[in-house]
Amino acid sequence: MIKLTLKDQPTVPLEAEMLTPDQFSGLNLDAIRALPVFLGKRQLRVDDFFTVDGEPSDELEIHGDLAKVKYIGRAMTRGRIKVCGNVGMHLGAAMKGGSIEVTGNASDWIGGEMTGGLIHVHGNAGGQVGAAYRGSLSGMNNGTILIGGTAGLEVGMRMKRGIIAVKGQVRDFCGLQMKGGTILLMNGAEIRTGAWMIRGTIISLKPIKLLPTFPFACTYSPTFLRLIAKHVAPLGLSLPMDEQTGTYHRYSGDSSVPGKGEILVWQPRV
Amino acid sequence: MGGKVSCTLGEVKNRADFILYWGGNPAECHPRHFTKYTIMQKGKFLPEGRKGRTMVLVDIRETMSVKAADIFLQVRPGKDFEVVTALRALVKGNRVDTALVEETGLKLEQLQDLVDRMKRCKFGVIFFGMGLSMTRGKHMNSAAVLTLAAEMNAFTKFVAMPMRGHGNVAGADMVLRWTTGYPFGVNLCRGFPRFNPGEFSTVDLLVRGDIDAAFVLGADPGATMPQPGIDTLARVPTIVLDPKVTHTSKLARVHITTSVTGISSPGTAYRMDEVPLPLRPVLKSPYPSDEEVVRRIIAAVDKKSAWLPKPATMASGVM
Repeated sequence: MIKLTLKDQPTVPLEAEMLTPDQFSGLNLDAIRALPVFLGKRQLRVDDFFTVDGEPSDELEIHGDLAKVKYIGRAMTRGRIKVCGNVGMHLGAAMKGGSIEVTGNASDWIGGEMTGGLIHVHGNAGGQVGAAYRGSLSGMNNGTILIGGTAGLEVGMRMKRGIIAVKGQVRDFCGLQMKGGTILLMNGAEIRTGAWMIRGTIISLKPIKLLPTFPFACTYSPTFLRLIAKHVAPLGLSLPMDEQTGTYHRYSGDSSVPGKGEILVWQPRV
Repeated sequence: MGGKVSCTLGEVKNRADFILYWGGNPAECHPRHFTKYTIMQKGKFLPEGRKGRTMVLVDIRETMSVKAADIFLQVRPGKDFEVVTALRALVKGNRVDTALVEETGLKLEQLQDLVDRMKRCKFGVIFFGMGLSMTRGKHMNSAAVLTLAAEMNAFTKFVAMPMRGHGNVAGADMVLRWTTGYPFGVNLCRGFPRFNPGEFSTVDLLVRGDIDAAFVLGADPGATMPQPGIDTLARVPTIVLDPKVTHTSKLARVHITTSVTGISSPGTAYRMDEVPLPLRPVLKSPYPSDEEVVRRIIAAVDKKSAWLPKPATMASGVM
């Protein structure tokens, strides 16, 4: 395992897209220390900011308050990154495989346009989780993102495939312009959930405020939820499914697009 | 997604028979707008002037502009996005939830009537103000109105235009657009332009404290930014170029007094419809123009050797 420790928080954001198992593969510690990172416009070395020790491997552990360190795990395809502390923007952007675990909070744009792999944030996340970059047609195209705490604006914006699960509350515009995939909201959302969604599923276990363009469709217990429940069970999530305890209300929309998306809201039986 | 549907104010004057103001108070904030460009003028294809035009105002409260409007629609605060999204559905003849529409403060019949009028007109224009773009939802509210206007072109000619604020804000957007390809929130650190509002836009950089110097030109962030942003401006070396001493000047390390563009120095200003207008100075000023100061700063910076932080000082956090 390679262990990196942040010496001191940089004053301006540090862009460190080299901090991935792919870039580290086949390098000894001295070569890793010499990899470039960008502080503003200036190219510096990894060891200007981090102490590097351990032995070369596909596993990477980063310690310190990395709230200003961006692009960790960018485009990684394999291996494991564990961040002990907070982490900055664009964590795991465009990642294809492997897994990232964050013990603290994450910032905006985590898993932006990812196509595979797993990101697990134990704390809160910022906005645009698994989203498409500005001007881009689609966001995450597979993979799983699990947020233990709350999340910000535009979670899953234009996502196409994959699963985002948030244990805490999310803010406005969850699933904005969604094109597919699944968002699980274990604790509900603020307003405008599913705005302009074309396809895909948003499942909320708490009542949420809906847009007028989501007319009520039906009450049912969809079979496919069992598959999703089975898929997310290893992540420690459970979906209520027992018809004795409640059902799901299905709202279809967004009729302004017009979309074939759906929002399922769990309704416990009283 | 996609382009913006726009036109010049001259076209609005000569053609627009349907004018919708959303979240703005032009009677008080753009006092010459009605009389010069929109509702009061007789146009080439609108010989009747005011009688030939329909004016709709959407706002959260009754303002001075209501008197000028044919129809006033009062929405509940923070419900603009819901109303525009419902309008987009109605334009396509799709189902909306009546009860949820009524939560916005408007009835479904009112929205249907508005959609019918929009479809019937020959040339429609939506002007949207800060009541839309600066309330909850922000850029998505603007995006909703711009998309609605774009989609209305399936039925009739329709455009949308933001009511820009004071100063040459449209000009700053235009110059950044033709130089970098993006209108604002551009980062050039890596040698090529990157655009990401929320990450690189001024207010977010200031609030997060992601900068170590600030150069303020023709703006007063010290008066308009949230408090954490103002604290950042006070913490880092801030340079202000302004004809007057502003709130930001009081936080800044350096204030350079410049002449007033358009009054004592020449230049080009962009009108809200992005038409460039040359400005001729009428007075002489003892102060240099903004352009001259910036040129001299660039020349002085060019003479300096490239600077790299020393790793030892980096580690102690002194930069």
